[in-house]
Amino acid sequence: MTDTRLRNSVMLAVAVILAAIYLFPLYWMYVTSLKTNSSIFAVPPEFLPGAPQWETYSLIWGESNIVRYLANSLFIAFGVTLVTAVVGSGAAYVLARYRNIWIDVALFMVLMLQVLPPSLMVTPIFVAFTSLGILDYPRIGTILAISAKTMPFFIILCRAAFMTIPRELEEAALVDGNSRIGAFMMVVLPLARNGILVAALLIFMQGFGEYVYSASLIADNRLQPASIGMTNYLQPNVVTWNAIMAFAATYVTPILAAFVILQRNIVSGLTSGALK
Amino acid sequence: MQRIAHTIRDGVGFDVLLIAFALFYLFAFAGLPILYNVILSFQQVDMFSLGSLFHEITGWENYVAVFNDPLASRVFWNTIVFTAASVFFQFSIGFALALYFNQRFPGASWIRGLFLAGWVMPGLVVGVLWNWLLSGDFGVINWVLMSMGFIDEPIFWRSDTDYSLIAVILANVWYGVPFNMILLAVGLAAIPDDLYEAASLDGATTWQKFWTITLPMMRSTIGAVIALGIIFTLQQFDLFAAVTSGGPAGSSMVAQYWSWELSFRQFDFGRGAVIAVMMIVVVLGVAAIYVRSTRQETRL
Amino acid sequence: MKRLTLTTLASVLLCSTAFADDITLTMWTESSNAPESVFAQEFSDMDNGITIDVREVRFDDLVAETLRAFATGTNPDIIAIDNPDHAAFASRGAFLDLTPMIEMSDQIDIENYFDGPRSSLTWDDGVYGIPRASNTIALYYNKDMFRAAGLDPDSPPATWAEFYDAAKALTDPDNDVYGVAFSAKASEEGTFQFLPWAQMGGGSFDNINTDGAAEALDLWKRLFDEGLTSPDTLTRGQWDSTGTFNGGNAAMAISGPWELKRMAEDADFDWGVTLLPVREEGGPRASALGDFNLAVFANSENPEAAFQFLEYYDSQAERIWPEFTRMPSKIGVELAPTGDEKIDAAAPVFVEQLQYARNRGPHPEWPRISKAIQDGFQSALTGQAESKEALDQAAGAIERILN
Repeated sequence: MTDTRLRNSVMLAVAVILAAIYLFPLYWMYVTSLKTNSSIFAVPPEFLPGAPQWETYSLIWGESNIVRYLANSLFIAFGVTLVTAVVGSGAAYVLARYRNIWIDVALFMVLMLQVLPPSLMVTPIFVAFTSLGILDYPRIGTILAISAKTMPFFIILCRAAFMTIPRELEEAALVDGNSRIGAFMMVVLPLARNGILVAALLIFMQGFGEYVYSASLIADNRLQPASIGMTNYLQPNVVTWNAIMAFAATYVTPILAAFVILQRNIVSGLTSGALK
Repeated sequence: MQRIAHTIRDGVGFDVLLIAFALFYLFAFAGLPILYNVILSFQQVDMFSLGSLFHEITGWENYVAVFNDPLASRVFWNTIVFTAASVFFQFSIGFALALYFNQRFPGASWIRGLFLAGWVMPGLVVGVLWNWLLSGDFGVINWVLMSMGFIDEPIFWRSDTDYSLIAVILANVWYGVPFNMILLAVGLAAIPDDLYEAASLDGATTWQKFWTITLPMMRSTIGAVIALGIIFTLQQFDLFAAVTSGGPAGSSMVAQYWSWELSFRQFDFGRGAVIAVMMIVVVLGVAAIYVRSTRQETRL
Repeated sequence: MKRLTLTTLASVLLCSTAFADDITLTMWTESSNAPESVFAQEFSDMDNGITIDVREVRFDDLVAETLRAFATGTNPDIIAIDNPDHAAFASRGAFLDLTPMIEMSDQIDIENYFDGPRSSLTWDDGVYGIPRASNTIALYYNKDMFRAAGLDPDSPPATWAEFYDAAKALTDPDNDVYGVAFSAKASEEGTFQFLPWAQMGGGSFDNINTDGAAEALDLWKRLFDEGLTSPDTLTRGQWDSTGTFNGGNAAMAISGPWELKRMAEDADFDWGVTLLPVREEGGPRASALGDFNLAVFANSENPEAAFQFLEYYDSQAERIWPEFTRMPSKIGVELAPTGDEKIDAAAPVFVEQLQYARNRGPHPEWPRISKAIQDGFQSALTGQAESKEALDQAAGAIERILN
């Protein structure tokens, strides 16, 4: 038994070291947020801030409407997750259910439409949304545009989840007299729940940090998300990096904490649950 | 009418409806903008007439101009190197981590969760952080390498034309590892334990089990991860903007950044669109390979 | 009346029928802390029936956002725009020609502005805005390091040769100190920093390949080759480069007055500012002219109200320096003491340097011209071409753009 304990401690130690290396940039964000604007550029680098500038945090909390920005980020992230999941789940299910040339074509289209970076797509979207009046509701417009970007990713992920569901379960439900939609909602979706949740969470975080569409489509400061609020510290000649890092830390930390906790349940749910 | 209602309720119509809805959505919000880029690439676009679809048609003029640009061949190779190296390292590191954390030991799933930090961070912040970490004078990476004795002189990752592309690749690998790791972890979790147990009874080594069970069972996941990885890498933009801006002297310029620079720095929208069209051609290939790879999928 | 002249007040009263309904104007700018944003808030708080909604747009995105908005008619009424970008909009009729309104105005007189800012917003005899402020670059130097290296802190380098010698003497690799920090980045910042050197060498944007300009580029190249400046100067902007000066890792820095506030707070050494060194004693001086202009869009529904705000802005010129450490573009506005000794000592240097500041352009194709200049100095600095050869290529590219 001591062998197992030794093995466990070694594995844990290696894991901690790997994580520490990986998380260093994150640590650097926190440290930088506490430095002065010039000590960021000090040689050799300061691993601990000599005189932590906590007032940077009170500054950004005081002047930058960070709560409003975060609320908008949450709104957009929820919207994107909802639209993507509703539109994407059905498609993923169909793409997993069949195996023929039309499915190949559809899968191909889904990937293809992901090709261009948002910065190259935003101009036509802006023009179209303006003339269609969608930009009267800028956050909704932004959600629609971002969802088109996150959808292919969601579909590919969920398709893998649907693939693992035994076809017989659905067929049994159909034989029992369920309609297709009934079988889909009552049998297939619950079985694919974990996969969909993982994908939805990943999409949520993408929506939470999105910049390009939000910056162009939302003209009103009051409706802009935190990713835009942060860039207000980037001015042509004056860039208050410590404030940007403090802003980023404030907005990344809660979401990261929530995710670390949630992913544990979800991925361990995957290991033990419905997928086997 | 009744037949349609019937097929939607009980037949294939239901499937057609679901997929058509998603495809229609994607076509409207992603397909049309792509088409717009294709059209722009054949036009002489003035910066003040972006709103209209109709400009002076120039035929292949923009294409000729892009291909004759002295930067073109370098951008071509840089894009290939950037994509191949990023995807290769993201995938290998992601897979190694997924396998490692798939072992059962206390804290495994907690620590795995921490690796998702990269996914949560906004691109701009990641770019700025790596800009500092890779800085020649005050950068932490040089400091560590020098104090451990690997190098004597600082490497100017961002400003040395031999290293600038590597600098962005480093940052991008860091950024992409969590995405690869979590997807591969989910795939690994789906492999039934009894397969491994049976193989163990037959006396298979860990290595043999990896080749005969893990890899074949992961084929569809791997295909999806690599295809998505290539497409995400081709969209990587923030890191270029923050770490090197494609420089110095174009040494780290890649297609997506060049296209943006032509369009929104030099306001040459026609040429910017040409590069976008080239990228569409590349992704066509990637998508085709992915779709072929799904042929071998097995359904439980 | 500090805030509003009597005449503008009178014009408000006279036009009161036109302003029967409350007017809301929109203004886009790069920062909510910039003077136009602060003044817009004050202007909105006045009892004049006009409210200005300010939208902050990240500087890097400002032109692209504005183009998109202009294409769909959703552009703002007023915009604060970087001066080299001004001509593109003015030449295409996107901005309103303010000449008739300025003729009627008792507040704004275009002759009251310095030549540089004035030419940046003039196109074909039309006046398409007013300057927000002006800035330029000069040479900051660490007096303590000068003393330590045996140089006289009271006679900083005045010529290129002296500048090079000083950089050489001040460089101290053992203590991680470079001679000079500046920016040769492939962006507008790089053009902003290089162009004055080319101009001191007898060049200009439409004649970039003079021998003097090539000599300037050779000097830059030597700074790189001999390790007198950080190789990261190639990819670092002015703000980050000057950060290394503030941290004591560079003995001199080339940058503008926007640095003063941070330097006064962060730099724990004695520093001063001097004019950019010239090619040889008595040679022509030059510097870059920076900062933004305020313009009104031609399709604004309330151009009079927008102009009224510009008048208010112009009337507050004496606040630009003490409150925002920006330099007023208006002739004869004294820079009031800020209370910080070093900043106040630097002020007259920048005022003098501003007299030599030259405009970038004006030309509607400025971004492409600027790109050609960036390609020129970057290819020389990375060793892909000789200085003269690189500038010849740039000149060729600019020639094609101009014709």
